[in-house]
Amino acid sequence: MAPEVSRRSFLKLAAATGAAAAVPGCKPAARHLIPYVIPDENVIPGVPSFYATACNECPAGCGVVARVREGRVIKLEGNPVDPIGAGALCARGQSALQGLYNPDRLQRPHRRGADHLINPVQWDDAMAQLGKALGAAGPNQVAFIGPPMGPAYEEIVARWMGAVNSRMRMVYAPIDSARERNLIRYCFGQDLTPLYRIDRARTLLSLGADFLETWYSPVELARQYAEFRIPSTKDGEVRFGTAYYVGTRMSMTAARCDQWLACRPQHEAAVALAMLRVMLDHNLVRPPQGIDPGAVKKFAAAYDPHAIADQSGVSAGMIERMAREFAQAQGALALAGTDDDAAHAAAWMLNAVTGNIGRTVTFAPSAQPPAAAEPGAVIEAMHQGNIKVAVIAHANPVFSMPLQARFAEALGKVPLVVWCGGVPDETAQYAHLLLPINHWLEDWGDGAPRPGISTLRQPTMSRVVYSRPLGDILLESARGAARDRAPEFEDTQSAVRQVWAHRFKNQPGSESFDDFWDRSLRQGGDFRQVNAAAAALRPEVFAKPIELPEAADRPDLTLAAYPHIYLYDGSGADKPWLQEIPEPVSQIVWDAWADIHTGTAQRLGIKENDIVRLAAPGGAIELPAHISDFVHPEVIAVPIGQGHTSYGRYAKLRGANPWLILPPGRMTVAIKAAATRRSRELVSPLYSSSMLARPIVETMSIAEFTQGSKPPPWEEPYPEPYETYPPVEYPVHEWGMTIDLNACTGCGACIAACYAENNVPFVGKEEVRRGHLMSWIRLERYIPATADAPPLLTMPMLCQHCSHAPCEPVCPVFAAVHSNEGLNLQVYNRCIGTRYCENNCPYKVRRFNWFKPQWPEPLNLQLNPDVTVRGAGVMEKCTFCVQRIVAAEVQAKLEDRKVRDGDIVPACAQACPSRAITFGDMKDKHSAMMQRRTEHHHRAYKALDEPLNTLPAITYLRQVYRPREEV
Amino acid sequence: MAAVASPDYHEIDRQVMRTLQWPGWRYWVWVGALFLIVVWGALCWANQIYRGLGVTGLRQPNMWAAYITNFVFWVGIAHSGTLISAILYLFRSRWRTAVYRLAETMTGFAVLTAGLFPLIHLGRVWFFYWLLPYPNQRWLQPDFRSPLVWDAFAVSTYLTVSLLFLFMGLIPDVATARDESTGIRRTIYNMVALGWQGSEQQWRHFSGVYLLLAGLATPLVISVHSVVSWDFAMAQLPGWHSTIFAPYFVAGAIFSGCAMVLTLLIPLRKLLELEELITPWHIDNLARIVLFTSLIVSYSYVVESFMTWYSHDPFEMVTFQQRYFGPYGYLFWIMVVCNCLIPLALFSPRVRRNLTLLWVISIFVNVGMWLERFVIIAGSLATNFMPSQWGFWTPSLTEVSITAASFAWFLMLFSLFTRFLPIVSMTELKEGLRWLRQALRQESAEAA
Repeated sequence: MAPEVSRRSFLKLAAATGAAAAVPGCKPAARHLIPYVIPDENVIPGVPSFYATACNECPAGCGVVARVREGRVIKLEGNPVDPIGAGALCARGQSALQGLYNPDRLQRPHRRGADHLINPVQWDDAMAQLGKALGAAGPNQVAFIGPPMGPAYEEIVARWMGAVNSRMRMVYAPIDSARERNLIRYCFGQDLTPLYRIDRARTLLSLGADFLETWYSPVELARQYAEFRIPSTKDGEVRFGTAYYVGTRMSMTAARCDQWLACRPQHEAAVALAMLRVMLDHNLVRPPQGIDPGAVKKFAAAYDPHAIADQSGVSAGMIERMAREFAQAQGALALAGTDDDAAHAAAWMLNAVTGNIGRTVTFAPSAQPPAAAEPGAVIEAMHQGNIKVAVIAHANPVFSMPLQARFAEALGKVPLVVWCGGVPDETAQYAHLLLPINHWLEDWGDGAPRPGISTLRQPTMSRVVYSRPLGDILLESARGAARDRAPEFEDTQSAVRQVWAHRFKNQPGSESFDDFWDRSLRQGGDFRQVNAAAAALRPEVFAKPIELPEAADRPDLTLAAYPHIYLYDGSGADKPWLQEIPEPVSQIVWDAWADIHTGTAQRLGIKENDIVRLAAPGGAIELPAHISDFVHPEVIAVPIGQGHTSYGRYAKLRGANPWLILPPGRMTVAIKAAATRRSRELVSPLYSSSMLARPIVETMSIAEFTQGSKPPPWEEPYPEPYETYPPVEYPVHEWGMTIDLNACTGCGACIAACYAENNVPFVGKEEVRRGHLMSWIRLERYIPATADAPPLLTMPMLCQHCSHAPCEPVCPVFAAVHSNEGLNLQVYNRCIGTRYCENNCPYKVRRFNWFKPQWPEPLNLQLNPDVTVRGAGVMEKCTFCVQRIVAAEVQAKLEDRKVRDGDIVPACAQACPSRAITFGDMKDKHSAMMQRRTEHHHRAYKALDEPLNTLPAITYLRQVYRPREEV
Repeated sequence: MAAVASPDYHEIDRQVMRTLQWPGWRYWVWVGALFLIVVWGALCWANQIYRGLGVTGLRQPNMWAAYITNFVFWVGIAHSGTLISAILYLFRSRWRTAVYRLAETMTGFAVLTAGLFPLIHLGRVWFFYWLLPYPNQRWLQPDFRSPLVWDAFAVSTYLTVSLLFLFMGLIPDVATARDESTGIRRTIYNMVALGWQGSEQQWRHFSGVYLLLAGLATPLVISVHSVVSWDFAMAQLPGWHSTIFAPYFVAGAIFSGCAMVLTLLIPLRKLLELEELITPWHIDNLARIVLFTSLIVSYSYVVESFMTWYSHDPFEMVTFQQRYFGPYGYLFWIMVVCNCLIPLALFSPRVRRNLTLLWVISIFVNVGMWLERFVIIAGSLATNFMPSQWGFWTPSLTEVSITAASFAWFLMLFSLFTRFLPIVSMTELKEGLRWLRQALRQESAEAA
């Protein structure tokens, strides 16, 4: 049962938020209710407060600012101080709110009874049971399974492990950087953390690394990549980074590169090594000091480009072209993201031999990883029955561990499995005790995503359910188990503070700790520059040849699993926004699919939507086929993230889970594929993949860009058309937007931000199929017909706020009206739902409320109080975040000044990791938005404006591309 | 061979008054069945209002589909009634007298039916009155730039004028009915007859007002459907944005309306035993109008396509290519068969005299004209400027039910009228008795 939180009691809780900073919700919330007659000075109704914290949705650890209204977090935005996210936040980060307010979160502790059903229990009972079990356990009989949780939490866990006298700490995250770390240790002989600088490179080679989606730190890399890809002309020289993606499927990242080179699985390394050979054969590089050219040459001699071209499917010409460009570029960078060690080693060799270590990638000494037992040893101990208590937190190994690892079976042999989390997942099905823990937005904590950057997490609001911080559970249970050995931390908050105080002692500076602590809390962490560590490739690396796969061992078909950009390792599947935002390349929603090459599908007799059975040695999964040319013919690519059998109403029973059939630690496996006689429709909100040569997503080749041959149509005066009505006058402002299609990656952060900011309802798979998707901003995605185009044509499409808006004159009741600031307003109260406006909108960006929108409680707590929730029967659309515009104008008026450029940032522009979207006043020629138009005027165009004369307020900057080589 | 009937004034009265006898059980079963369908449709509408328009098959980008198609279809049906009653009156056409009341009645009820659909299709029907300029304290007025406001005016004007016109023409006939009935019927007819005594002064006023109303209704035949067509032509959607639409729609309206008159007339004539008053000569004339307007409509299809090809507008070209060969292409070709090819049979006098065949043809035309509106409305929306946002509507149970209920509603009202008010104008038949007799003579001569 959900705790009954009425609006009134929530307002009371709101009053407690200030106090919550000091006393997080570790005790029942009711004790902190403060009557409103004693107003809290920190809470002014209607005025948001902001709390800096750090995102915990993936290991990148971007800084986040939580916008809190009346005691509820309503929006997450990037923390501009944080050097990783630098103010941007991806779709997954934005959607953390729906994890916080998820209606399926466990409301209170539960215990599994003899009948295998779970029943609610009191916290005291649950804690007593846990404490007793821990007390009774002998040495090394208690296991703790969870991902790396940041220094403070790791300290709590370490001391808890000490208290229960066990070393069975299993650090487990389904997607981690272990392979990267190991290969860096192998190549450079020390533990180093790489700091990539794509923006310093001129040529980029990705060996299956989806760095704009899920690899390493997507927000940060997207920002760097935008800088790398926005073409500029300086001193007559055109700068426009060259990027190649060698991999088995055309991911969103590959689609943003110049060319996706379809490569046979496990052959990415071969391509890179062949490039190395070409570089040396043609004397294109002089290896830096410390690398013996002779040894490299000898090493590379084994990799004949022509033989490798035959094997990998990447042509020898292409290998040579890439080698030349990579070697001669003023800064080049190779990234490896496959599950193949060789690819990683080959990437480091390329980077090192071309002298790019220290230039496009630097290293910092790694922090000590948490002391941990071998995962295999822990599972084995569980199998042996040597583990009496297993505590699993923030992890879902039953879902994400391969069946071959036999984890679930092992878990079944543990007498007390304690699951700590939010929405009960597959692992919770095996738990005897289910403890709801605070969401990271309700909890203290910290993170050290990389050397020099320490993020600090603080509760941003009172608890949503009767949960407790994980730290408090551990500390209290340790006290319950062994009073003498119990950690001296009182609770999570004091633990975090003490850990930070301890570290502060070792830092130079005159600041007092209290000041430092306050400052860190305010800005969301402590950010310092770290000196790069010297790193040189070990000569031994070249001594041993890298084995390449034998042609004879090559499987007919390989399953290549990849983390879904939104669902990630599966943890995103319970969030409806992440389910409903279409995957950028396939544009499929609410499902998983098998990407099959057209030819392969023909060979196997498979049509779109046919369910295919993919049988691997470890098991089989069944998924509907999605047929495209965006995957290597010998590969069937499957997104990870769906296939939950539990994990809440939004995740449950959708698609299939490829983790189960993957071998441990791998993302690929040889499979046999066979059509079944069943089919399931894959739902996408897009109809046609062909743009029909219409001026929607406009592009220009690098040659055209260099010559400046495309005239700037937006600057040309339009032939004065006959105007029935006098033109609209804009006395003060005329809001507009510039969107750079070269910067835009298609990641969908803007879409998630818009959902969150504007109370846009999600509708579910069936309603998307019925054409009822509500998102105000969508990604146009077209597949070009020729090679003389980018691999994929994408553009964010939102209301263009036309000056000659076709929607306005057709509305019979003035619900669609033009403001004197250039906005197309939609007056919801006035709309009677004729829908004529959408019929007449050439951009099809208006959305009709077919039903009353639904937000199952407590998802409704996320709704932005500044934005109307629209009822059934009215039209809605992008407003350019008019609530933010008005707020900024009111603020300016209060301060008796004009609105400054940058005061207003719509949610989409705010979220955009690659800063593709700029908003501003078109009447202010010096605004950043207009500057961007002027600076890139030869790329500027307005969508569909030439045929229709709609005069949109959004100017797009054409996507510049290099014509692809026909493969 | 039957003797040449030669009805006199009394015979006309007798034959028409016979239709006003209390109907038998078959009639009530028919009306009752129609009523049940109407109730089912009303329930569907209520459910749609309660739950939202999502219960329909409407979707991005088919914001309009069946409901607006029905609206245009019924408005179009209405037009031939006014054409026959007003325009042909002004032109002193001889054959209109026997069929005009039926056509006029059809007009009234078709507009009543059509007028429901702009309401049914609204997202928030409870605010429908915002479409009208009514005095309010906020001085909020409708936007007169919007064709939907023109529509609200055009349709409501049309409804008013056509009902008035129908009512005016009824007065002398209702007086006759009053004189021939007793009891409650007499009381009601008495009220409807507005004290008609048939005095010379009354006849003078009557013919003056009748002429005036005919003069008022005549431009409405052209203007109302032109305005309806501008709902589409004023938008810039490919497939809609075309200057040909007004005449094209008016011709289509007359076409479908005359076909509907035939659909109603042929069985009615039989059921009410009005063969002597409504002769094959009348029906032949109606069939000629159907043929003529069919040719105009076919010409419009050709011109529309030619202009698209000639303009080389890339958007229009794709829309038309999709119209012919896209997912809705089969509907287009059914429409061509129904509207352009089948009516060509009417060139043959034998077909025009074969009532069964004529009735079947009229049904085809009705189907074809419904599809024409659908192909234009939903088909053009489906293939809009944004290829990614194309989408094809499929009907939901709600839409099928409400469309069926609209036919039931129309037929129910029409059926009620036929048995309680004179469906053939006694007054005008008497005025034109000469022509009726001539027709009957010609009929028998031909038969001989």
